[in-house]
Amino acid sequence: MSDEAIYQGMLAFIDAGQASDAEFNAKALEIFAHQFEHNLPYRRFAMQRAKTPRSVRSWRDIPAVPINAFKDLTLSCRPAEESARIFMTSGTTRGGIRGQIHHTTLAVYDRSMIVNFRQRVMAGADRLPMAVLFPDEEAMPNSSLAHYLALALRMFGTEGSRHFIGADGLDIDGLFAALAAAERTGEPFALLGASYSFVHLMDAMERTGRRFALPDGSRILDTGGFKGQSRELEPDAFYGQLSARFGVPRGRCINMYGMTELSTQFYDDGNATCPSLKSGPHWIRSRVVNPLTGQDVPPGSVGVLVHHDLAHINSVAAILTEDAGILEADSGFRLLGRVAGADAKGCSLAVDDFLTAARG
Amino acid sequence: MAAVGSAEYAGHLPGLSADAVERRVLTFRGVGGAVEVAVPVLTAAQVARVAETVRAAAHGYLKTLTVAEIVTILDRAVARLLDRDDPWRQKAERLLPIVTGYDAEMVRLGLTGYLKTFRAPELRKFLAEDFASPQILDDFQPVPKGGFARAFGPDLLLHVWAGNVPALPLWSLVSGLLVKAGTVGKLPSAEPLFAGWFAQLLAEIDPRLGDCLAVVWWKGGDEAAERAWLAQADTVVAYGGNAALAAIRDRVPVTTRFLPHGHKISVALVSRAALDPRRVGEAARLAAHDIVRYDQQGCYSPQTLFVERGGRVSPRDFAGCLAHELAALARKFPRRELSMAEAGAVASWRDAQEMKGFADPGRLLLSDPAGGWCVGYTEAAEGPAPGGLNRTITVVAVDSLDEVAARLAPAKAFLQTAGIAASPEELFRLAGPLGAAGVTRICALGRMTAPEAGWHHDGRFNLLDLVTMTEIERSAEIAADGFARYAD
Repeated sequence: MSDEAIYQGMLAFIDAGQASDAEFNAKALEIFAHQFEHNLPYRRFAMQRAKTPRSVRSWRDIPAVPINAFKDLTLSCRPAEESARIFMTSGTTRGGIRGQIHHTTLAVYDRSMIVNFRQRVMAGADRLPMAVLFPDEEAMPNSSLAHYLALALRMFGTEGSRHFIGADGLDIDGLFAALAAAERTGEPFALLGASYSFVHLMDAMERTGRRFALPDGSRILDTGGFKGQSRELEPDAFYGQLSARFGVPRGRCINMYGMTELSTQFYDDGNATCPSLKSGPHWIRSRVVNPLTGQDVPPGSVGVLVHHDLAHINSVAAILTEDAGILEADSGFRLLGRVAGADAKGCSLAVDDFLTAARG
Repeated sequence: MAAVGSAEYAGHLPGLSADAVERRVLTFRGVGGAVEVAVPVLTAAQVARVAETVRAAAHGYLKTLTVAEIVTILDRAVARLLDRDDPWRQKAERLLPIVTGYDAEMVRLGLTGYLKTFRAPELRKFLAEDFASPQILDDFQPVPKGGFARAFGPDLLLHVWAGNVPALPLWSLVSGLLVKAGTVGKLPSAEPLFAGWFAQLLAEIDPRLGDCLAVVWWKGGDEAAERAWLAQADTVVAYGGNAALAAIRDRVPVTTRFLPHGHKISVALVSRAALDPRRVGEAARLAAHDIVRYDQQGCYSPQTLFVERGGRVSPRDFAGCLAHELAALARKFPRRELSMAEAGAVASWRDAQEMKGFADPGRLLLSDPAGGWCVGYTEAAEGPAPGGLNRTITVVAVDSLDEVAARLAPAKAFLQTAGIAASPEELFRLAGPLGAAGVTRICALGRMTAPEAGWHHDGRFNLLDLVTMTEIERSAEIAADGFARYAD
């Protein structure tokens, strides 16, 4: 099948609005065959596990690549020179080495984001006045999050919506003015950004005692966690403070869970309770596995999340994360934090300590 | 607070009546069942009470014993623990595998091998290692420079133990008692039993000695509890990761002696002399033993093996032999059940090795499909990086073992043991550079997890570091002569 046919087929799959188990499976096998054929490191990886398009009948048996692999291998179906865009991971683990994810086109990535965002975040609204607490794509061309947020702004923001982080950092005065304007007009407002940017913003508001009561229907979207860029807050405290500072009920404080290594995002339906239930659209499915064997854990048990994202065509659809989770039958999963980085039970040195020391 | 009906009571608290102490229950589940351990949670007043009791008892009794008498009492306790018919020993064999998760037979063999190093003759070696004349702990002894000296142990020595290696706290606990220190030990949450049992057993053998030591617990990082104890001690020995140690150090009063033992990394070296078809099986078996014992959780456990090229068996084939031995030992001593985080660490290390192998033919990954053990092999010039623990090992091929010391040097602050299989000439040629690079213990392959009696843990003096010397200078002696009744 030609690349063009694969990409067109996937766009149609997204636009279909739903997929049965059989349809998901068939599409997953088709994408696996494509990736097995064109992505050579992935083919070697799959063959090492004795999984080939001939032998695999269920999407669950398609081998999932550990996210660390993106740091060592170029996992791309087309030569790297043909990449239209390379997204890079943040390098918060393993001594700052950053993984690279190649996209020959962002057509499917963008369609995936738009369709899903419209349904889960806009929830009936066409456009909203938006403020983005993150640098723009020009400042961070290798950030998938910068691309995601720029796309949200372009597709769903009203006139005047913009980024509030620039070369001089967070434009607090401008942001306060925008929030105050929303209070005055009574028009619902959307505040989007990295979780740690919200912490910085709330710290600044704390100092001046500033609070807002955004109009009904306003929403907040945070993503990405704190990554050592701000204080770490427990989810309950974080959403409690967000809600109190901006007057947005916790049920409208949405967390997006995404990864540079994927082309599709997961959302919850607000954070009235934590950990919230995360789910994705019909072209992505998740499993919870034992990281050592790769086998599914018994239903209801904690394991490591594997995401199978059919929209991630040029790279690898099946990704083994380092996130612990628990699957809730058919409705999604709860995210329980990162798995890696276990301390030794005894007195031998573990990797994290060693790296910490090596960094000084 | 949970009910403590059938729980095992941990710790040893002289000066407090059992029913006055609040308990918290830690539950451990293992292959052999579940055990509930009720650890003590003391109030500030109780902390002060226990500290006072121990200090007073040590003053009134322990410090009046000769070191030889102390050795005799410790020996009786250790003999009981070596006796498989003794109820204490039976309890240890039954409960420690559940609490630590280690295979029962591994624990049994490990306990015996370990406890043997605390018999009276071994304790005397222990003393002789640090003191030319151990009687210096009893009374003033003449010293070579002239005059006399006597060593005094702390009035209250606090041990902050960590880790799940069974019975590990015994090293420092015994060291403290040998220098007659009033002793308080903080149980590690991962193995909160053995140290308390040892204290209770000592109290059974000699009730007055039982009052000279306490075994307590607080939740790691509980600042208030930690400060309360740190304020009582005049010397603190602490084990743990650097972050935990730094937190403790910040709370130790400046006048208190602080002796930290951070987490360490160990390596093994296999010379081409051991790599002929006749000997290689044995070398691989011994290396596998060091890896399997306590699933690499000890500071003395190897994480990297440097194997020399040029023998009749190549380093790559040695990696294969090692994989074979690990597979055999996995059946004999199954690995403990891993937490999700530990399994994730193993998987992440293993997968990273595999990925690197795709791009580099000089790499190889041998592993059990279920991840029960993994051997990574590399021809790259790698140093002693930690692996995924729990039976994951990197075999690094080197042209000559002489290259190894330079590769270790950057990890100097973390190095501990080097297990070695080499000829006598090589052993002594390598020992100097290894020591200079930071290795503090060189032992035979296969003995890495069983340090000999009297070893200098992390290269320090286990006993000498605890004491202060009081010296009578020659001048005092001469001047005293002038005031003697017989003076002319």
